[in-house]
Amino acid sequence: MQKTEPATTAATAIKIQNVSKRYRTVNALSDFSLEIGRGTIYGLIGPNGAGKTTLLRILAALIAPSGGEVWFEDAEVSKSAAVIQRKVGYMPDFFGVYPDLTSAEYLEFYAGIHGIPYKKRARIVADLLELVELTPKRDAFVETLSRGMKQRLCLARALVHDPEVLLLDEPASGLDPRARVELRELVRTLQGMGKTIIISSHILPELAEMCTDIAIIQGGRLIASGDVESVTHRLGGDRQLELRFLDTVQMPTALELLGGMPDISNVSNSEGNTILLDFGGDDQALNQLLVDLISRKLPIISFAPRSGSGRLEEVFMSITEGSTAT
Amino acid sequence: MTFFALLTKELRLRMRRERTIWIVIVYILFMGLLGWFALNRYNTTNGYNSSGLSNVGLNLYYLLSQLQLLLIIFVTPAFTATVINGEKERQTFDLLLCSRLSGFSLVFGKLLAGLMNALLLIAASAPLFSLIFFFGGIAPMQVLRALLVYVVTTVLVGTFGMLCSTLLPRPSVSTAITYMVCLLWIGLPLIFSLIMLSMGQGVVSGKPPVTSQPGLLFVWNPVTALTDTYPPAGFTYSPAGFNPLFLLMAGLNPTYTGTGLGTFSLLGMKLSPWLAYTILSLTASAVFLALSTWLVKPNATRRLQAPIGGHPPLRGRQPEKESTDSATSEGGTAAPA
Repeated sequence: MQKTEPATTAATAIKIQNVSKRYRTVNALSDFSLEIGRGTIYGLIGPNGAGKTTLLRILAALIAPSGGEVWFEDAEVSKSAAVIQRKVGYMPDFFGVYPDLTSAEYLEFYAGIHGIPYKKRARIVADLLELVELTPKRDAFVETLSRGMKQRLCLARALVHDPEVLLLDEPASGLDPRARVELRELVRTLQGMGKTIIISSHILPELAEMCTDIAIIQGGRLIASGDVESVTHRLGGDRQLELRFLDTVQMPTALELLGGMPDISNVSNSEGNTILLDFGGDDQALNQLLVDLISRKLPIISFAPRSGSGRLEEVFMSITEGSTAT
Repeated sequence: MTFFALLTKELRLRMRRERTIWIVIVYILFMGLLGWFALNRYNTTNGYNSSGLSNVGLNLYYLLSQLQLLLIIFVTPAFTATVINGEKERQTFDLLLCSRLSGFSLVFGKLLAGLMNALLLIAASAPLFSLIFFFGGIAPMQVLRALLVYVVTTVLVGTFGMLCSTLLPRPSVSTAITYMVCLLWIGLPLIFSLIMLSMGQGVVSGKPPVTSQPGLLFVWNPVTALTDTYPPAGFTYSPAGFNPLFLLMAGLNPTYTGTGLGTFSLLGMKLSPWLAYTILSLTASAVFLALSTWLVKPNATRRLQAPIGGHPPLRGRQPEKESTDSATSEGGTAAPA
């Protein structure tokens, strides 16, 4: 069997090349290519039916692509499904739990079917329960756990064989705000442990805050990919800044000054002491703008780009305009 | 190792269900009560005497053994005909596929756990059967042969149920089809027998074809096999007797004379029907198990086309049909994300 392409580079964990997946008359993925860096938290964004779950299932070697290749280092998914399944921890968008097992038994079972020796299982289960903060629920039946706890247990289950890559399909759906924050922290902890994490989600604020990189998918095609800032900048145009002043006394001066500056457009006084504007310059120009404002002794108390999540939401809404949720 | 992890989990889950205990209780109560009524009726009709005790034992054994066989066939599909598609419905199947479980471990682990339930019923009924020895008339070897027929029948029905659960996405459909096939399996020879009896070719005609070769349809039948384990000369057939099931058995096989069934030739060997049944059933079970193992993992058709030790090239491959994925890996939910 001849290897047609070089495996992934040292910095690349997964290389997806021209992957397509067809279900009878529906193209779930078309000519999809993407490189996912090692140790990144990669967010997959797209409306329902975009192909996110299909992509994750291909990465988990659960379904074979109709065309194209997916490489994990030097292993191609369709040729080495068993190898891939050792490298990958998959958490689907449903719980998939056995309600009549306790949390510890549930994890022990998955440790067993992942080939972990019996003697090591108890230690691994204890560590995982501690990681997901479920140690007090060790002997509780899975059916008695809250949704957030079940989600954390499922995440622990995906980690039971210490995979290099984690595939999380809608991990935050249905969780309350506290559980989401806990999940986010957990994902960051896992990134700190050197794992590459791929997350598909509809909850854009979560993705914007959690992910280092994102890929926007629509109709089975890749619209854009890269780090969050660059993608939103590329698709959403200029970044939006929000400036807040101590009072309204010098607002006219500030508006006049900002209106005449380069790279700035759409200056508006949204609230009494707040100005919104679109900024087209780079980070250096942004720094210069702040220096200019302070040097003119304007009483500025807040100078912030509008949150990434808000921007991401705008970008998402604009690219998915007209597509119906399924 | 992965196999034992799966088996342990399955047994844990099954034994924790209230349903398991209730099935055992109802099963034993049903058999016990029926046996008790039968004994009472025999006592009322014939009374006990020194020579009749073994007849009481025999008749009780006939009744209980036939009842047990029918109950096993009735109960086993409930334990095995949903083992694979039940996982799909519970959305845990993908997680099993993502593990290091081989197709065989997955299928065999689930099957064994399902069969354990049925075998538990057989074991639980042992005290009832031990009563037979109190009355006498039955040799332990005959009971052991009957036990073998039970186990073989359980394995055969269980593996067939599991094949159905691998092939069909809905647990209710696979269970219904398993029951339907079991019914035909037992019922078809009976129907043929009745037709033959009506045409004057059976035992009723007074010319029992003792030496003739019984057809496969009759030999590969659990009721025939069980009948063959009974004492050849000890049975006193009476259509008006207290055991109406004998009428069915007499009609079931035209070679039946009340002194044992005709032998069956398999690969040049002359075998008793119960032995031929055991061999045929175990062979069929192995085939069902192999098919389930092959079908349980995704892309079964593609794996068949792949060269040994390799896979078909990815490039230029024809788009696969949805049905392949939906049937094997997605449990019928083939909709894209």
